Amino acid sequence: MEASNTTNVNKPASFDVLGLLKTIIHKSAAIIIFLIIWQLAPTIGLVNAIFIPPPSVVFVEMWNLTLSGELPMQTFASLSRVVFGFGLALFVALPLGFMLGGWFKNFETAVDPLLQVLGQANPFTLFPVFMALLGIGEISKIGIIYWVCQWPVLFNTVTGIRNVDPILIKVARTAGLSKLQLFWKVLLPASMPTVFTGIRMGAAFSFFMLIGAEMIGASSGLGFMILQAEGTFQISKMYAGIVTVALLGIVVNVIMIQIERRVTRWKEEISL
Amino acid sequence: MAKIEALNVRKTFRIRSNGKNRNAAENCDFVALDGLSLNINKGEFFVILGPSGCGKSTFLDMLAGLTKPDEGEITIDGKPISGPGLDRGVVFQQYALFAWRTALGNVSFGLEAKKIEKKARADLAKKYLSLVGLSGFEDRYPFELSGGMKQRVAIARALAIEPEVLLMDEPFAALDAQTREILQTDLLRVRDQTQKTVVFVTHSIEEAVFLADRVAVMTARPGVVKKIVNVPISREARYSDDVKVTPEFTKTRHELMALLKEEVVKSQEICSKCTIEDCGLGSGRITAVPLPVPVSLGSK
Repeated sequence: MEASNTTNVNKPASFDVLGLLKTIIHKSAAIIIFLIIWQLAPTIGLVNAIFIPPPSVVFVEMWNLTLSGELPMQTFASLSRVVFGFGLALFVALPLGFMLGGWFKNFETAVDPLLQVLGQANPFTLFPVFMALLGIGEISKIGIIYWVCQWPVLFNTVTGIRNVDPILIKVARTAGLSKLQLFWKVLLPASMPTVFTGIRMGAAFSFFMLIGAEMIGASSGLGFMILQAEGTFQISKMYAGIVTVALLGIVVNVIMIQIERRVTRWKEEISL
Repeated sequence: MAKIEALNVRKTFRIRSNGKNRNAAENCDFVALDGLSLNINKGEFFVILGPSGCGKSTFLDMLAGLTKPDEGEITIDGKPISGPGLDRGVVFQQYALFAWRTALGNVSFGLEAKKIEKKARADLAKKYLSLVGLSGFEDRYPFELSGGMKQRVAIARALAIEPEVLLMDEPFAALDAQTREILQTDLLRVRDQTQKTVVFVTHSIEEAVFLADRVAVMTARPGVVKKIVNVPISREARYSDDVKVTPEFTKTRHELMALLKEEVVKSQEICSKCTIEDCGLGSGRITAVPLPVPVSLGSK
């Protein structure tokens, strides 16, 4: 009876090599065409190969930089800043968001305008402040990354908790759940999708800010490497840095999406 | 002795002005229930029938222990209700399932609060899922279930804690007509198998006659019991396909219809004329009555 219309939902797709190949080609066609144009344009002299070296040169440069150890070292320097800054943001903003959204709603209403103003302040304009307060070392860079990515995490966590369907809280109350159980069993899972949007935004922001911070004042990291390569006219090295940053961004995003899928696999996938 | 007794129950909500109507008073009191009294017997299927906004859901919330009456008293087995408890299972109109839990996980929810160990929890949950006809759907997430199946899970969840009383707040209102009829029959069957006392709120006359041993017809705001009507149809007779065309069924339906009609007219008048406008809601509908469900963890 009612069952019949949903029986096929979770049937795993059978392994289909041709289909998989088609999907891969379909999804990577734009990238391949882009790479071909990028390769051809400098080669046939459409653009100046000095300023825009073809990808073959850039990838060779990336390989050489990897072998020489410079690229891994700079990547490591950058990543550790992100890990600390972003980690700190999660460590602070997640509990704070849950508290503001769940326990201290009146307080949240009072401080929200201030938080919005602070969150809206362009972080680049705050660089001098961070440098004045925290010096020009690692702390100020980690500090500014933390500052930037805490806002989406915080705001989305507050929104997530606040928008939990009251009927679910009613159900939990009829079951006689304690406050702590209510949080773990209802509020936390129900707010997870919104919270994760914040975390993903925070992760993207952290890379954004990282490169900015390293370009403004650093002696290591990918941002520093790109700026220094540009200053010393090592154009292919500069591109190697740019491509590395882009790849890192993609990798981080894919990791975040995978974690999100695991945590919120109970959500219906909506395709438009 | 009656299982549930309500005596002169009164409940008033304070509605805050929403600022659209500046002439309205800042706040205004909204009387949801004004001296409601009734007795519900053990093992009875008791239906509360009334127009929208008559406070029937408010009364059910009180039985569930989610709200307290301002005046009067409600007792279960002679003891006043002090708060939510696992002696009462509640089913809401919205399915109110936890989207991140499977059907089995949802049914286990109340059992976790009862501190039943994991294995026994799963067994109980399976038993009640099969009671509502959902064997084989244990691992489905709510989004993979139809509306009727979701409500079956909600009923299984309410039953799994093995309450003495089952409270149902318009549980089938959101379902399509065919599914509703199937679920009504299944509910009667489940009730006969479990022998629970059921308090069922609805605004559907047909549903009331089909399910109830007795029907309490509520007046429009402020809500009191207008009349309690016995449904002279035996439990066995209800499983017959023809029950809805028997003279008893038709007669009871007409009686309830006559009683309810006046109240629906009255409630429409109340809506369009004074109270709601005074409150600055001005929408002409009572659907905006804020039930006091504190979302905050900090309150109380």
